[in-house]
Amino acid sequence: MKVSLISIPIRDQAKALKFYTEKLGFIIKKDLPLGEGTRWLTLVSPEWQDGPELLLEPGPNHFEPCKIYQDALMEAGMPYTQFDVKSVDEEYDRLTKLGVEFSVKPSTMGTWKFAVFNDTCGNNIEIVETL
Amino acid sequence: MTFYQEKLSHLKNICFSNDMQIEAVINTRKYIDNNYEKELNLEFLSSIRFTSKYHLLRLFKRYYGITPRQYLIDKRIEMAKKTLRNGLNVTETCFAVGFESLGSFSSLFKTKTGKSPREYQKQQLSRSNLTV
Repeated sequence: MKVSLISIPIRDQAKALKFYTEKLGFIIKKDLPLGEGTRWLTLVSPEWQDGPELLLEPGPNHFEPCKIYQDALMEAGMPYTQFDVKSVDEEYDRLTKLGVEFSVKPSTMGTWKFAVFNDTCGNNIEIVETL
Repeated sequence: MTFYQEKLSHLKNICFSNDMQIEAVINTRKYIDNNYEKELNLEFLSSIRFTSKYHLLRLFKRYYGITPRQYLIDKRIEMAKKTLRNGLNVTETCFAVGFESLGSFSSLFKTKTGKSPREYQKQQLSRSNLTV
């Protein structure tokens, strides 16, 4: 068994696609229609194109417990997931210039440096650098 | 402060408050990153830090979750992948990243990545990248 996909709950697929590609720099891997206006839409990192896929899942729109969970995480400031970056400071600068809002500015704990931003689709996302 | 920030603050106090230890292991990791092709020399590192090599080893594991040797191997395999993607042959790659035997390099590479160095290189060089 291999871990090859992670799913992120999002409220609006088109908006999420725009944010995750234009601001975060992911590229589309798979895109196929699933009926009723939704798509199976996955992204990958341009630096690791045969790496794990990110699934943009409109779960909160179709399954109430998903919406409740997502809202609870958001309310508590908890990130839904995290992505590795080479430099948290550089990404923070780059993303703030693109208008992305951060709830946690670059901080250090142990051997990690991290920051948390809002993906505008219902989630806090954490970026992490190993020190 | 959000709930998350409170939790992190608490975690920092109980697990990550010893700045000198953290600095020592971070510098150890950086040293390994810059010297991965050489033999791992914990004696040298621990002498700079005025600590025993066993203590340094334990600290590294405590903060990174893996031993310096495991980290070194992962680093060498990561660099081997890069080197193979750049077209260097398997034998040259093996010695360039610090392995001493082609046999152990190949089997370790396969264990870690699921492919032999040759298979990996073949696949990477023939693959066309996705475009935006």
